[in-house]
Amino acid sequence: MKLHLEFSHGPLAIPPHELPSREIGSVLEFQGLVRELEQGEALTGLHYEAHEPMARKRLEAHAAELQAVHPVTEVTFMHRLGWVPVGEAAVFIRVLSSHRAEGLLYLSGLVIRLKQDVPVWKMVPPSAGGAGAGVFSGAEGGGAS
Amino acid sequence: MTMELTVLAFAHARETFGFSSRQVPCDPGDTPRELLLRLCPAADLSHLAVALDSEYVSMDEPVGGARELALIPPVSGG
Repeated sequence: MKLHLEFSHGPLAIPPHELPSREIGSVLEFQGLVRELEQGEALTGLHYEAHEPMARKRLEAHAAELQAVHPVTEVTFMHRLGWVPVGEAAVFIRVLSSHRAEGLLYLSGLVIRLKQDVPVWKMVPPSAGGAGAGVFSGAEGGGAS
Repeated sequence: MTMELTVLAFAHARETFGFSSRQVPCDPGDTPRELLLRLCPAADLSHLAVALDSEYVSMDEPVGGARELALIPPVSGG
C-alpha cells in the first residue's frame, strides 16, 4: 500500500487522483470541514496545531494496522494546520482500492483512529465559545465534523 | 548522570506549564510524572498523556536515554 501523508498551512492542495493500475475499482474521498456552530455560538474558524513528527508516526502505525485487515492500494491523508475558516477542509483522505468494502472499512477506521491518539488539536478562537484566551477542544468537542 | 531533555507542551498543556518548549535537566531514572511535577507542582496530570521520542509511554516509565518528552492533552484532529 502506498501512503501519502501531508500536513500543511494554508488551503489543502488536493491532488487530482491518478489510478495506479486498472485494478482500482473504488475511489473514496472524505473531507472534514469546519462547521460554523460551537455550543450555539457562531465561529469564523478553528486553529489547528500538531506534534507533526509524532502525528506522522501514529498515522503510519494506524495505516499499517488497518492495511493488515482491510487491504487497500493507495491512501492520501492531508491535514491542514493553523487557521482554517468555516466551510473549508481541515482534513482530506482518499482511499483507492480494488473493492469498495475494504476501502470503506479502511476509511472509517482511519477517521476514527485520527480522533483517538494522533496528536493534533483544534482551538476555538477567543471570540466564540470562551472568554479571554482561546479554548482547546476535547476529543469530542469542536466545530469540525 | 545528568542529561537534558526537551519538553514540548501542546494545546492545554502549554497553558498549564507556561511554555511550548523547554530544556530540562534530568536523570535517566526520572519519570515524566516526577519531571512534570518538578516543573509545575500544582499541575493536574490526570488528562495528560506523555510520549518519549514520539512514542506514548506511561507517566511512570523512566525517561532513559530519550531526547524529547511531549505532553499530549486529549487530541481533537480532523
